[in-house]
Amino acid sequence: MIFTVFKKELRDTLRDRRTVMMMIVIPTLVFPMIMSIFMSVSESFEKKAAEKKVKIGLVSNQAGSLESDLLKVPEALGKKEFIPFTDTISLVKAIRSDSIQVGIYIPNNAEQLKRTMKPISVTVFHDGTDLGMKERADAYLTFIQENWKRERYAELKIDEAKITPFILEHSNVASSKEMIGKLAGGFLPYLFIAFGFMGCMFPAIDLFTGEKERSTIETLLTTPVPRWKILFGKMGVVVLSGLLAATFNLLGIYLSIEVLNIVKDPVVLQAIKDILSPTFIIMLYALLCPLIIFFAGIMIPIAVRAKSFKEAQSIISPLNLLIILPAMVGFFPGVELNEVTALIPVVNIVLATKELIAGTLEWHLVAMAFGVMVLLAVIAIMLSYRKFENENNVIS
Amino acid sequence: MIQISHLSKSFTLNRQQKKELGTTQNSVLAVDDISFECLPGRVHALLGPNGAGKTTTLRMLSTIFKPTRGTIIIDNIDAVKDPQEARKHIGFLTGSAGLYARLTPNELIAYFGELYGVSRNDIEMRKKKLYDLLDMHDFQNKRIGKLSTGMKQKVSICRTMIHDPQVVIFDEPTSGLDVITAENIIQLIRDCKNQGKTVIFSSHIMGEVDLLCDDITIIHKGKVLYNDTMEAFRAQQQTPNLTAEFIRIVHDQKTEVQ
Repeated sequence: MIFTVFKKELRDTLRDRRTVMMMIVIPTLVFPMIMSIFMSVSESFEKKAAEKKVKIGLVSNQAGSLESDLLKVPEALGKKEFIPFTDTISLVKAIRSDSIQVGIYIPNNAEQLKRTMKPISVTVFHDGTDLGMKERADAYLTFIQENWKRERYAELKIDEAKITPFILEHSNVASSKEMIGKLAGGFLPYLFIAFGFMGCMFPAIDLFTGEKERSTIETLLTTPVPRWKILFGKMGVVVLSGLLAATFNLLGIYLSIEVLNIVKDPVVLQAIKDILSPTFIIMLYALLCPLIIFFAGIMIPIAVRAKSFKEAQSIISPLNLLIILPAMVGFFPGVELNEVTALIPVVNIVLATKELIAGTLEWHLVAMAFGVMVLLAVIAIMLSYRKFENENNVIS
Repeated sequence: MIQISHLSKSFTLNRQQKKELGTTQNSVLAVDDISFECLPGRVHALLGPNGAGKTTTLRMLSTIFKPTRGTIIIDNIDAVKDPQEARKHIGFLTGSAGLYARLTPNELIAYFGELYGVSRNDIEMRKKKLYDLLDMHDFQNKRIGKLSTGMKQKVSICRTMIHDPQVVIFDEPTSGLDVITAENIIQLIRDCKNQGKTVIFSSHIMGEVDLLCDDITIIHKGKVLYNDTMEAFRAQQQTPNLTAEFIRIVHDQKTEVQ
């Protein structure tokens, strides 16, 4: 009988346009959309930044070698145009009015300091809100500094290697998969959880409050099917809807990389392909299942009690925030699954999924997180059962 | 057969309900110690003004509500102790009940047939018989949401009768229906009676009661005011028609209470 109720409710749910939108269409499209927007914005930003001719104001009272070397900096470091200024006050004004992007102040005694091999104090004026401009000026000056250093070593007959105690090199032992998992891995569980919740929401309201509002529940309760079986049949559809929303989200990721070719960086692409392994998918569902049952279990008592669709929606929608905020924990690098976070619902699943993506799972912590969610899911089911058994809640 | 004995139902009031009803009491007694019998092959009218406790009584008979006190025996089954078994014998049709708009009549009837434990063959056989009787073949595969009120009512009838219940409960089944659609219901009630089924029927339309019913129970404020055969009711009648007599009985009770 549970399956009979489940079958009917699933058919009914799949014919509801609003639910199909929330369960299939939006979850499938969201990842390709976010990725293509992100990629095209970042590509165009990088392109624009590279092509942008930076106007640099120059305060210098003499035509020394630093000035001439600045003019000779190769175009490969970025296009530039130098505009002479007489003082720093007008230079700052020009930066503020955006007629120039950065300013460089070279002191009057620069040439003398260079000759006596003393450091010249050069000031770069910049607007901190205009991203990338300070870095551009720094790059030009560093280029000149390196050239001058080499000239001085030659003049002083110093072997550069002898005054370099060590050469610092970095070797990243983390795989690209781990890098993506730890740094950006919070984004995926956030999507799965948010859509899992939203996927449950409309079916929960429709199958419980909706039945009450449309007065169909009365006839259903006169059939010789125990209420718990009706509840389980309906709950099955709510849970499946949440899982389907997460599945279509996963499908959206697959489409983005395999069909739409949105991700172009081969390293990132390979890392995402490595992440989406069968083991990952099985583990992900194992973690999502109790979480989504828990979601269904907290939505159903509300939907059972509510007198109208509107009332149910007005209570469940703010609940969305309570779920989404902890799910955002995954965005912060450094927050990891440990003995404490494994006990916090939602946070534990986000962090466990993040570790799963990075391939750095600690099984006892995952077991703890899973156990906590199973326990909460059971409590939520019991609560749903209590509410659904109460005739005052079910019949309006 | 339905045997109702000392049946009572009280509802616990929450804060909002207390406010709405303007009472400080924690509960309200909707049905107060009522007893009557409905016999097979007879149509039993359950009458009462709005808020009398008719729907609560019928909901207890259909086992949606659990009585606070008393017993209900349906076809020798204690419906309070074994509601699931009792439900197999009951068909429940109410004027206010909705249907699943996104299903077709075929899907809905098959669903309820399965819920009542009717075999696939029997579902098909009974469905065909009911479709013939109610002229439903033309719209059997259309979504219910797109059907007219009359067509929907036919689907409701079909749903009520798919498991061939021995006891049929009608709660204001013709309310809000046009004359032609209401006639389908009247005919169904007659058919049930002719087939020896026990029928309990609640309505505000005295003409229908006069036409269909063999026995009558009038309830008011949860208590039984009158319970006898229609023949006896007509015999004791002090007013020119049934409506006037119903009003008189309810009014006399009010006066007595005052």
